[in-house]
Amino acid sequence: MVQQQFSLSGKTALVIGAAGPVGRALAVAMAEAGADVAVSTTTRSQQEEVAANSCANEVWALKRKGFAAAIDAASESDVDKLIQRAVAEMGRLDVLVNAHDLPFAKPLTEITPEEWRRVVDVNLTGVYLACRAAAEPMLSQGSGRMINVVSLLAERGMVNGAAYCAAQAGVMNLTRALALEWAKTGVTVNAIGAGWTEGMALLADEEARRKLERYLPGKRLAKPDEIAGIAAYLASDAAEYLTGQVVWIEGGALSHV
Amino acid sequence: MAVLDKLRLDGKIAVVTGAGRGLGRAMALALADAGCDIVAAARTRPQIEETAELVRAKGRRSLVVPTDITDPASVQAMVDATIAEFGRIDILLNNAGGATAGMGKPLEEVTDEEWRLGIDTNLSGTFYCCRAVIPHMLQQGGGKIINLTSGFGLRGGRDNFMYTTAKAGLINFTRSLAMTYADRNIQANLIAPGLFPHDNPAMAEWWRGGKFVPMGRLGRDDELGPLCLFLASDLSSYMNGDILALEGGGLSGGHAPTGFAPVLPLEGEA
Repeated sequence: MVQQQFSLSGKTALVIGAAGPVGRALAVAMAEAGADVAVSTTTRSQQEEVAANSCANEVWALKRKGFAAAIDAASESDVDKLIQRAVAEMGRLDVLVNAHDLPFAKPLTEITPEEWRRVVDVNLTGVYLACRAAAEPMLSQGSGRMINVVSLLAERGMVNGAAYCAAQAGVMNLTRALALEWAKTGVTVNAIGAGWTEGMALLADEEARRKLERYLPGKRLAKPDEIAGIAAYLASDAAEYLTGQVVWIEGGALSHV
Repeated sequence: MAVLDKLRLDGKIAVVTGAGRGLGRAMALALADAGCDIVAAARTRPQIEETAELVRAKGRRSLVVPTDITDPASVQAMVDATIAEFGRIDILLNNAGGATAGMGKPLEEVTDEEWRLGIDTNLSGTFYCCRAVIPHMLQQGGGKIINLTSGFGLRGGRDNFMYTTAKAGLINFTRSLAMTYADRNIQANLIAPGLFPHDNPAMAEWWRGGKFVPMGRLGRDDELGPLCLFLASDLSSYMNGDILALEGGGLSGGHAPTGFAPVLPLEGEA
């Protein structure tokens, strides 16, 4: 039966950035599909740690194994230790989801070089660090799924978005380069292009949110689980031939002129 | 609802054009596997009858309607027959299309008839089908449209004009469907399959077994089923106007030959 090909039973996954709405939904969707799922924060903030722990609770409630870790995704040693722990505690690592999300928006002339570096370090370099660390177990087992989450700002610009847009576009093309580099290894690398989703930091402002809803072809934001469903496919054996793609799930936002 | 439960299509009706063989048949069977009844539409009756038998063997209903998608009257008759039999259309899979006369010719040798046939088969046919089906979807409160594009809809091809032009046209046609109907719960998306030889060893050989595909192999028909099911199911409720390409990595490159892998140290390093 074709649905059984979507099952992630017996697989293990790690979601970095599970405190945000999309990362959290991805972790839960993979657990629902049968995977054990470990999660981490993007930064070492108290708020993120609480959210990551609550995400792990949801995974456990589904009778799946996993853990929650507080890390700084831009720290090489934090990331290396996280991947090692995931392999040690879950036995192997089949799926890595990079849902790093350090939101930031400022006019270019007001961005300090420190802010620029931090945004790029977390949102782009952090993904590189995680892919590098996960490559070792995945390449040696001859299979793996890397799924990078980007937003519409990877493909389109935004006023005050210079640093964030640059980092996100970097992740998008990192995805394509790694897909080619590992095309024959059994490791696929794809991106999920998430549209405007309920709970995103940039939508905290009620008026901004209403403006976007009016603009979108479907007149509504995504619910996080509408973004997450694709993970059950991308992470599964059924998607073995799919690599280097950005799968946009954005309610037609990119169809707009 | 848990994520895997959203993949069920029980009680839904899908129209599949080009359902008589290859990818069309594979995708029709995947939809039937998920609980969907199938309207098998294509020109060649014996082939769609065979598909219908395979659908019925899965315990699903199937209607056989010989259809020429390049003929609007034939398309309308197929949709009318579907409504008469099943009363609704939830999923429209516009799979019919392919190489037509004139493919493989340089442009100066392409005739008016060849141009029209290529565009009719690969672009206008999908327009006719969507135009005939969408009123029913609107009346029902929504639906799923899946159009088939190609890597040749995103990139050019040597001596390949009608197919590339039509497949590119389908991409923007689908975006306009998304712009027009997203607020009425119709999701229209595209599948871009890579090289799938089906059961044709000559094609597999022509494509050199996929040696130039980054993944080093051609696609298998059964790999399209799950992707098609995703786009037909509630799991893709927020995906609209978008492309899912299943092609072994080729579209990530395209600027240099497959396997191009230079190594250069940073400045100052030996």
